Amino acid sequence: MKKILLIFGVLSLLIFIRPVLGFDSDTNPKDNITSVSSEQADNQEDGIYNNAFHGIQQFYNYTGFANATWGHILMILIGIIFIYLGIKYDYEPLLLIPIGAGVIIGNIPFVAGNQTGIYETGSVLNYLYFGVVKGVYPPLIFLGIGAMTDFSSLIANPKLMLLGAAAQIGVFATFLGALYLGFALPEAGAIGIIGGADGPTAIFLSSKLANGINILPDGTTVKNLIGPIAIAAYSYMALVPVIQPPIMRLLISKKDRKIRMKPPRAVSQKEKMIFPIVALLLTTFISPSALPLLGMLFFGNLLKESGRTERLADTARTKLIDIVTILLGVTVGASTQADIFITKDSMMIFGLGAISFVIATIGGLLFAKLMNLFLKGDNKINPLIGASGVSAVPDSARVVHAEALKSDPNNYLLMHAMAPNVSGVIGSAIAAGILLSFLG
Amino acid sequence: MMLLNMSLQIDQVNEGLVILLTGLIIVFCALLTLSLFFKFGLPVLLYIYRIITKGKDKKIKDIPIGADENFTGEIAAVISSAIHLYLNEQHDDENAILTIKQARKLYSPWSSKIYATHHRRL
Repeated sequence: MKKILLIFGVLSLLIFIRPVLGFDSDTNPKDNITSVSSEQADNQEDGIYNNAFHGIQQFYNYTGFANATWGHILMILIGIIFIYLGIKYDYEPLLLIPIGAGVIIGNIPFVAGNQTGIYETGSVLNYLYFGVVKGVYPPLIFLGIGAMTDFSSLIANPKLMLLGAAAQIGVFATFLGALYLGFALPEAGAIGIIGGADGPTAIFLSSKLANGINILPDGTTVKNLIGPIAIAAYSYMALVPVIQPPIMRLLISKKDRKIRMKPPRAVSQKEKMIFPIVALLLTTFISPSALPLLGMLFFGNLLKESGRTERLADTARTKLIDIVTILLGVTVGASTQADIFITKDSMMIFGLGAISFVIATIGGLLFAKLMNLFLKGDNKINPLIGASGVSAVPDSARVVHAEALKSDPNNYLLMHAMAPNVSGVIGSAIAAGILLSFLG
Repeated sequence: MMLLNMSLQIDQVNEGLVILLTGLIIVFCALLTLSLFFKFGLPVLLYIYRIITKGKDKKIKDIPIGADENFTGEIAAVISSAIHLYLNEQHDDENAILTIKQARKLYSPWSSKIYATHHRRL
């Protein structure tokens, strides 16, 4: 205690003695800048207080309190709600918590021009955001997803792949809706991909189409919509357990919900190894623009299935994807800086995103019903799995599983639902490639 | 200007419709070819592979039987039971850390002198 008092006393003495002895180095540069206060030198006592007051005022002007607008506070509240949802209700906490923290970080009010904000060149956040703007992170995430995903249920029952294609109707319908609302073609394409229910794909496409850099044919620059699109895609992905079940109950009859599917056949290791290579060749020859996404996805899967590169696959599906998810989450969250984010466009994007999820789910469900018309006997599929054709891996498959259990406690659909689920990822990546090649 | 904007938007919507249709068709075709390939192409591929590598596979598979005539079922049983015992013998791998827990009641007669000296008489 004595020591603390001593140190405190010495420090305060030093601080007070400095101006008295005239060591105030701060007065000289101040005089140069503010020539008005030259008479400060006459009355030094007065000058000290003035300077101190001036300093405090300047400091206050730099604080968040002075620069806060209602927009900042609203966004910070949204960030806190995201974190709350992630922790309390367990809605995709791995995404919502980094994004929520990012929203708070990005909306701390600051004075422009000090390389603080995410949109100021040279700031640290801006460097991290580079990976989003240039579409670096999404392929890395896809590498991890590929190394995690088991495609065997898809190989065992290839016809389920069509469900993944059917759900992509959400992408194109939203695209059309955005066009009607007056967005330019590339912007509409980027908004449409929200219906693909795939965060990395949405970021990838919006960073290519709606990045605020490209110039439209009529001479204007395209709007920067990466932030709103990414936030919409991720938040609706987290809300899949809320959005999908009512639609399923509405469209699928109780009898159909109880259909049991025969267990998928065993898939040999050879088939699993051939799958990534063949799928890579086929899909990227059809849609080369999706190469960064699909290439990495199937490369990751090859690492997993080859049986020789377990170390690489392990890194890709754990450490690598974790690191990229952290960076992606925080920077996407931080890109929602209030003055750029709170616009009419963002609101429209949120509306369109919800509609696109609904349309995609409906598309998948109806197509599954249609397929059932042509299938016979125990080959019939449970139409519920159509809903997992929207990607949102593995959440929508889980939702389908839970929904099937509600009508028949012994009907386990998870394995079957994973097939359209992963083919939905492939489908939305192909759709992104198509949109990119048409509009890029 | 307004009219021009309108017509521009209609043009856009038309172009959007074109993209919508072609895009959907392409996505469907892509996944259809994939599923068709895995339905029909893959079994053929695997079949061909099996034919090509038939000779090689046989060489690996053919382990000469009858080399060990002395190896009887009894020996196999002994070896397997030894392995079983070895794998299940977890007694030796018990946790070596001992902790002395404070007994809830402070008095315990386990080392009581009274019992030791008077036991027989009691």
